[in-house]
Amino acid sequence: MRFLRFIGFSAVRAWQGFWRNAMMSLATTATVVLMLVLLSGLFIVISGLNSGLEFIESKVGVTAELVGEPEQADLTQPQLDALMGYARSLPGVQTVTYVSPEMAMARLQEVYAQRGQKLDLGESGASIKLYASIEVTVSDPSYSQSIANALSDRSEVVQITTKQAAVDKLIGIINVIRTVGLVAIALVALTVLFMIVNTIRIAVYARASEIEIMRLVGASDSFIRWPFILEGILCGLLGALVAIGMVAIVWDPIQPVLFNVFQMPVAVGARFLATLSALLLAVGLGVGAVGSWISVRSYLTA
Amino acid sequence: MSVTARPMAATNDAGGRARLSAVADTVIGMVDAGVTYPNGKVALSEVNVTIPRGDFVFLVGASGAGKTTFIRLLIREVLPTSGRVTVAGRDLLRLRRRDVPGLRRRIGIVFQDFRLLPAKTVFENVAFALEVTGAGRSEIRHRVPMLLNLVGLHQHVDHLPTQLSGGEQQRVAIARALVHDPAILIADEPTGNLDPVTSWEIIQLLIQINALGTTVLMATHNQEIVNAMRRRVLALEGGMLVRDEPEAAYEREY
Repeated sequence: MRFLRFIGFSAVRAWQGFWRNAMMSLATTATVVLMLVLLSGLFIVISGLNSGLEFIESKVGVTAELVGEPEQADLTQPQLDALMGYARSLPGVQTVTYVSPEMAMARLQEVYAQRGQKLDLGESGASIKLYASIEVTVSDPSYSQSIANALSDRSEVVQITTKQAAVDKLIGIINVIRTVGLVAIALVALTVLFMIVNTIRIAVYARASEIEIMRLVGASDSFIRWPFILEGILCGLLGALVAIGMVAIVWDPIQPVLFNVFQMPVAVGARFLATLSALLLAVGLGVGAVGSWISVRSYLTA
Repeated sequence: MSVTARPMAATNDAGGRARLSAVADTVIGMVDAGVTYPNGKVALSEVNVTIPRGDFVFLVGASGAGKTTFIRLLIREVLPTSGRVTVAGRDLLRLRRRDVPGLRRRIGIVFQDFRLLPAKTVFENVAFALEVTGAGRSEIRHRVPMLLNLVGLHQHVDHLPTQLSGGEQQRVAIARALVHDPAILIADEPTGNLDPVTSWEIIQLLIQINALGTTVLMATHNQEIVNAMRRRVLALEGGMLVRDEPEAAYEREY
């Protein structure tokens, strides 16, 4: 009961304090919104790139180009069967598929078709020579190197390609974006922190005479301090709610855009949105609490 | 009334320490108490005084004699840098920081400038002191009218401080100071801003409160009042307690 009264008292005082200096409080809340919107953007982009990364990793792990087609040149059907059997016996291998040159050509044409172009093979139709290959998918990307090594020792295999280069490149991009994004957000967060510290400092000064009387009549430190800490948290909370609202509103319209950019669904629906909302709420409340705590520590010395 | 029954005031003798602990009903006890501020200024030195429950004491002295430090010491705004001070049974040097609010609830204090919150009504000003110490609505509804009745302001509960006379404002401050039923009421120049007639009304109120059992310590420059009242007088001079006399006058009479 006593604790409830304390909470009620502090919440009411925080609310009054917030609106007593409404311009300042709302400006601070706006900077919280700005920070959280930036954070949402970064979170969505990173998530998109990460799911792209997963997609690439889950696709063909290792491609082994072969010396030729079966029953042509140097490769017989039994040799191919033996190679595929060997590949299936390797640890970490999920599936092994034979891709003929015709199939490879069909895929290439399809890729061009998707881009709205036509693969021009010239008069002869034989200016591009595609190899037959086997494609190995792996249960875990970490196996791809050992599989590649084992297959490259076989005489039937001309050349091994893995998706490692693409994966590495994407990881590099993700890291750069993440670093740049986090540094930018950290700078904005510093500004937000400064705004909150200042807002609460002004709130403390505005209540100087009340604080003096509270001390004289024996109010405990928590009654004196918590209203101000809650006022800072209120800035963070309102900022987070506005940011979550903005993300929720643009969520459906931006889905096709995201799909276009990342070539796959970034994250599916409600659960991603819930995670993002929880993140925004936590960051908003956290920065509000830290900022007002700093201010109370600095300007409300006992 | 305990004015005549109280032990003689402690002087700077070895018995002071023993007497301090022997008197159970001591509200304020100082033994060799001194305050030296960080800048080196000695504000109080070697003060020995015992104020029993129910006493009415005037604290007199010129500006800079140490009255303000004496009061700040009692509410633990400053700590003694030497000696020992007990207030309402608490040794101030041993009091933990988080127990200071508890001490302050045992002390009511009023000032020359009233220190009311101008945006709050009379009722709210008094209720505020209860609210900020976690009192419930029913306690506030019960105690505030009772106290405003005691100080004679029950007609003015909804007025703002600016709508009241100086004397009425000081009554609100007194009601607020009594809200936690303190052991001692400290009045720091309570009549400093008031005309003579109103000053006497405030003094009458303090005597009435004292008669109900609350110890009163009043710092004042008002010679007329001290001389007319003939109560115990503590006189400070240059940080020293130079006089502690029962039924005394503002100036030394011998």
